[in-house]
Amino acid sequence: MGNFLLLGTLLMFGFTVRDANAQSSNTGPGAQRFMEYCAGCHGADGKGGDKAPPLISPSGRVNRSDSDLFRIVHDGTRGGMPPFAQIGDANIQAVLQFLRTLESNPASESASPETAVTGDVEAGRALYFGKAQCSQCHLMQGEGGFIAGSLTNYGRNRTADEVRQAITTPDSPLVPSSQVVTVTTKGGQKLTGVLRNEDNFNLDLQSQDGRYHLLARSDVTDVRYTEHSLMPRDYGTRLSPKELNDIVSFLVVASRTPHVKKVDAR
Amino acid sequence: MTSSTRLAFTTTKRPSRNVRLFRRLLRAMTFLWLLLAILAASGYAQPGGPQKHLPRQRAASSDDGNGIINVQPSDLLKQPVAVNWPSYNGDYTGARYSSLTQITPRNVGQLTAQWVFHPRAVSPLEVTPVVVAGIMFVTSANDAYALDAKTGKVLWHHVRAISQGLIDDPGQHHNRGVAILGTRVYMETDNAHLLCLDARSGHLIWDVPYATGNKNYGATSAPLIVKDKVVVGISGGDDGVRGFVAAFDAETGAEKWRFWTIPAPGEKGNASWPGDTYLHGGGTTWLPGTYDSDLNTLYWGTGNPAPDYDGSVRPGDDLYSSCLLALDPDTGTLKWYFQFSPHDLYDYDAVQTPVIVNARLKGQPHKLIVTANRNGFLYILDRTNGKFLFAKPFINTQNWAKGLDENGRPISAGLIPDEKGVRVCPANGGGTNWYSPSYNPAAHMFYFRSFEACAVLQSNPRPFEEGRSYYATGIRNGDETGKGYINAFDLDTLDFAWRDLQIGRHKGWGGVMSTAAGLVVFGDDAQNFVVADGHTGKPLWHFHVGQLIHASPMSYAVDAKQYFAIAAGSDVFSFALP
Repeated sequence: MGNFLLLGTLLMFGFTVRDANAQSSNTGPGAQRFMEYCAGCHGADGKGGDKAPPLISPSGRVNRSDSDLFRIVHDGTRGGMPPFAQIGDANIQAVLQFLRTLESNPASESASPETAVTGDVEAGRALYFGKAQCSQCHLMQGEGGFIAGSLTNYGRNRTADEVRQAITTPDSPLVPSSQVVTVTTKGGQKLTGVLRNEDNFNLDLQSQDGRYHLLARSDVTDVRYTEHSLMPRDYGTRLSPKELNDIVSFLVVASRTPHVKKVDAR
Repeated sequence: MTSSTRLAFTTTKRPSRNVRLFRRLLRAMTFLWLLLAILAASGYAQPGGPQKHLPRQRAASSDDGNGIINVQPSDLLKQPVAVNWPSYNGDYTGARYSSLTQITPRNVGQLTAQWVFHPRAVSPLEVTPVVVAGIMFVTSANDAYALDAKTGKVLWHHVRAISQGLIDDPGQHHNRGVAILGTRVYMETDNAHLLCLDARSGHLIWDVPYATGNKNYGATSAPLIVKDKVVVGISGGDDGVRGFVAAFDAETGAEKWRFWTIPAPGEKGNASWPGDTYLHGGGTTWLPGTYDSDLNTLYWGTGNPAPDYDGSVRPGDDLYSSCLLALDPDTGTLKWYFQFSPHDLYDYDAVQTPVIVNARLKGQPHKLIVTANRNGFLYILDRTNGKFLFAKPFINTQNWAKGLDENGRPISAGLIPDEKGVRVCPANGGGTNWYSPSYNPAAHMFYFRSFEACAVLQSNPRPFEEGRSYYATGIRNGDETGKGYINAFDLDTLDFAWRDLQIGRHKGWGGVMSTAAGLVVFGDDAQNFVVADGHTGKPLWHFHVGQLIHASPMSYAVDAKQYFAIAAGSDVFSFALP
């Protein structure tokens, strides 16, 4: 086991998992791949089954780094888990992203060790809800918008550097359910929104006013894929390094604060 | 427009002048709001361009399948339901009656499956889907989903792992669905947290644990919105918890009131609860109640007392277990109560939906509650004061009561569970149960499922213990092969119009709904989803879902097309005409 963990530490993978712009990513490829390859043994909720141990700890956490998990899925384990290298790196990343969504919501007491932040958390909060306009799209602990992913738990299992990278280089990778598309209907109307669903028969768009446009493909003449989410791509220049650091610090610290309201039974 | 594509609506009563004026004002305000919404939406879609409507989509309105989720208190007051089905029972009456008439006895034979949705289910689904503006909301354990109601495709999914360490019903992670107000969705979790989610994204806005101090608490129900509050019940009544109904501010999650169903020392009704037994007295509240806005009264049923089969530790009537409570929705104050099964010894919960009915009874107009109780009697009460008006037994083998007195109080047959056991009918599972009843106000017909079975009930007393059930018993089932019926009770004749025996080897736990087209819709005892003629009970169409139906059906419409939906086993099914 010692070798196993050492190997995991040595094999640091350079990828980060980003779902800040994902709606809930659980309808995406990660969920599909997870159901296809993992759920049969580890359970649909990742809590384990007869054939394999739980992936989620009793405190509701996946107690492994993304790079560690990637290697385990890719190479398998001595304990009997088969390797899944054949499904491709992108699919493995998608599975890991889904795995993080299985973590329970109430923040547990165990914050990741690498939580050290250097910015001004309160200044970051002010920027998040003010000048930087993050809250127009992203929810944080019950406050903010809905069109983009909730950031309530986003920073919990991510380092400050990972969060910073996600802000400055969005859409890498682009989460399918976050992509902005422009659809032209048979009636000549152009609709722009986030592509929540699509198949050969239907398209489900959500415009920024929250409205769902549930369209039959037969009623659509053109679909333009922007290959982007709604996330601005200029935060690296729009914000000063200090401002960026403050926002990152806020996201990391706020994500480690419990989001459950206390109620005393009367 | 042919009759097969027309959506028609009926109304059952003429509202008062004030209500009509208020509705006109609301309509005017709604119109202005809609106008703004259309302009805003069009402007976003095509800046400066001509404003056109979407294909297959009509002008924005809370009644249309237009994709805008914004449920107003006035939307929840609409009776009966039509295009939207915005709460567990559809509307506040609990009648589970849809005014949609596109699907008729003549064309129902053409009904076809439209889609199947397969969530991550850890136990049979018990959810009734809620549909607003073409978006369907369902729950499976602690997970919530928004679906395109035309295709069953997931728009969002709120993931929350099941809770460990729960016992009994909450330990099976049942969940009966969501409530919705404005742009927010509310649900209960297995470990009794009230969640507020953004209905447009599924993201968590707040999370309030609302039952503490006893690990045997859990929740399985759907919340009920009343005005600006979210009202919830609690589960664990067989496990020694103290029941309550509680209301929370829909905006902030702050608790506004809590009515304990088992009175504390010094409170009226505490006589049955010596010492700290009130803390384990049961009387849980595990189905949504109903609400009369004119009387400003919330009607909510309570479950059995605990321990279930050992009455020696709870002498007397065991208030307020096995009761119907009439509560002030603003304060939680008790207005009146009616106890169906005083000092219950047979697990006869009274949480079954108390249906609000306005009808003539023996020639006189009445504001009624009609409810079929787990104890085997159908009751009609005056909902202004809780006065007993009428009862009808519906279990042929019923043996626990010699009858009811003039106040509706049962005359006990003296069957007391002991170490040896005593045979009781109906069985502890009840003559009926939580599966929904339905009332068709046009036909004056009350529909419900019943189950004829007996059980041998034993009492082996033991003290309360957290983490362990408080049944205080070993139940020996007598008639495993009981008989299920779908019943139509006629309020004009005060007798059954028909009783349809359900043949099959899978005891159904599916509720009933009805429509203005005269249809009655349910799951049978052979894993079929059935549409029958409401006047005769004759089945007109069925579809084998191949899984136990443990949920109650509903109806909705999107783009001028009517659907029936039901959860069965681990899937949600939707049906419509071709």
